[in-house]
Amino acid sequence: MIAEWTRGQWALRVVAALGPVGAVLATAPAGVPPKPWLVGLVALLSVGHARLPESPVGILAMGAVIVWWGVAFRDGLHAWALPAAAALLASHVAALLAAYGPDRLGVDPATLRRWLVRAAVAFSLAPAVWALALLLRGRDEAPGVWVAGLAVALAATVVATVALTREPGE
Amino acid sequence: MSAWRSTAAMTRAVALGGLGVATAVLFGEPVVMVLTAPLLLLGAMGLLHRPTSKPVLESRLEHGVLHEGQGTRLRLVVDDLSGVEHVTRLSAPVRHVAMHPADGRLGRLVGPGGELPVVEIGPRRWGRRVLGEENVALTSPWAGYRWGPTNLVGSQLQVLPVRAPFDSRAEAPQPLGLVGAHRSRRPGDGTEFASIRPFHAGDRLRRIHWRVSLRTDALHVVSTRGEEDAAVLVVVDALADHGRSGGVDGEASSLDVTVRAAAALAEHHVRRGDRVSLRVVGSGGESVRYGAGGRHLQLILGRLATLQVGRPRELRGGQLQLGVTAGTVVIVLSPMLSEAMGTLTATLVQRGLPVLVVDTLPADVSPSVVEGTDPRIAGLAWRMRLIERREVLASLASLGCPVVAWRGPGTLDDVLHRLARRAQLPQVRVR
Repeated sequence: MIAEWTRGQWALRVVAALGPVGAVLATAPAGVPPKPWLVGLVALLSVGHARLPESPVGILAMGAVIVWWGVAFRDGLHAWALPAAAALLASHVAALLAAYGPDRLGVDPATLRRWLVRAAVAFSLAPAVWALALLLRGRDEAPGVWVAGLAVALAATVVATVALTREPGE
Repeated sequence: MSAWRSTAAMTRAVALGGLGVATAVLFGEPVVMVLTAPLLLLGAMGLLHRPTSKPVLESRLEHGVLHEGQGTRLRLVVDDLSGVEHVTRLSAPVRHVAMHPADGRLGRLVGPGGELPVVEIGPRRWGRRVLGEENVALTSPWAGYRWGPTNLVGSQLQVLPVRAPFDSRAEAPQPLGLVGAHRSRRPGDGTEFASIRPFHAGDRLRRIHWRVSLRTDALHVVSTRGEEDAAVLVVVDALADHGRSGGVDGEASSLDVTVRAAAALAEHHVRRGDRVSLRVVGSGGESVRYGAGGRHLQLILGRLATLQVGRPRELRGGQLQLGVTAGTVVIVLSPMLSEAMGTLTATLVQRGLPVLVVDTLPADVSPSVVEGTDPRIAGLAWRMRLIERREVLASLASLGCPVVAWRGPGTLDDVLHRLARRAQLPQVRVR
């Protein structure tokens, strides 16, 4: 039960709940404030995501944010997308850490540190994609350029991460 | 059977990544790619680290036998750790067993040398405990896949009673055995002076007392008493447990006092070279025959740890046999709240055996009653039982059976001295 959560679990659940709400609200400074009902819906789903990190509610909460970012702008590439990406990533990682065990399981500092490093590595992909999008903005787009670009960036990051995290002698 | 299954985190990362790519392509919005690219990377890493091993898990206690208050570790043994990054252990709480972490829940990364998280345990009360029942989950790198939770069966730990501090310098009242440490009534080759008497054939020359021999013109020798071991029977009353047990550092119930005192007495007499026997008056009817030595002491402690509380069938039929032989010192450890124990003790006293009762009812003990019982009625019933107990103790005292409360070192000294003195006097025995 909630009353039995440790302080670490509380912190993780708060981050998991606030992440999608922060991400959806980030469209407001970019010029398109979200509809209040949408904010309410995302907040509700986010609380469910924080309470039950193993459930698919998280997909709904973050999926609603992603779809909103997709439909809110027309060819908009705002810098506020980066904090929004960070908020979504933080929510995802917090729920992942909370789902390592039951509610009353304490948070292991070593596991937390490892995931902070991983989250930082993963987040570095967001500014890279953003910079690439800025660079290619206004040029004639070949069909599927974004998907191809993301796939290349993803493959490069995966290769680099695997190479960096592999133990010597493996 | 367990298998590696994808975690909710990886499913979420892959689903959101896919949704991001689809939305970006459909709406032509690169900003969605910015949002979902990190999640897609985490999902991809989870997929890439899919484990192929089939680990077999086992929880193992480092020690099978411990004393109350001692500690050991509950280790998790996994035969194949390839593809395992994180281990979560949820140990079932066991009564009278302290754990570290206190709730038995532990989640840790696998160490660089394959070290797995360890649960430290410390039994707080004697008895037999099943430890190691736990659920274990293994998680692959990047939290992509999970093995379990797997339910592990526990193993048994025997918790021996802690030996209460006890020492006694009193000699046994009727030592009647082989070579030992107690002064016997019979003459023998000991060190305790008995008398100076005329020389008999077979006396050792070094025993001749020259001063008396010269004075009397006849050879005289110094005679000594033999030194023999004693047989000690420890009778443990396990008919019921009165009061609440708080473990080795907490409140003690009547059975706690009884068992710890029995362990202390057994150890004391075994160390002095006496033959010690144990008889538990309980539903299990545990007993240990007369014997001496360290292994015999372990046997006694083991039996004490496994005793079962309840009324034995023989007690209902009045046919409880203790197997007491002549010269045996009988120490009855009992709160004397049962008439049957009073009768049993009185029978032994009337047989002329040196019997002493150690009262093991703790002061300020309160009765354990069924939930919903009126506390006034429970209190009244308890007072009536205490009055009956007082009568039983008074009856035993009138028969010449000493009753002492357990208070550790020196508890039995005075009583044993008196019994030894009484043993010199002629007695009438009931057979």
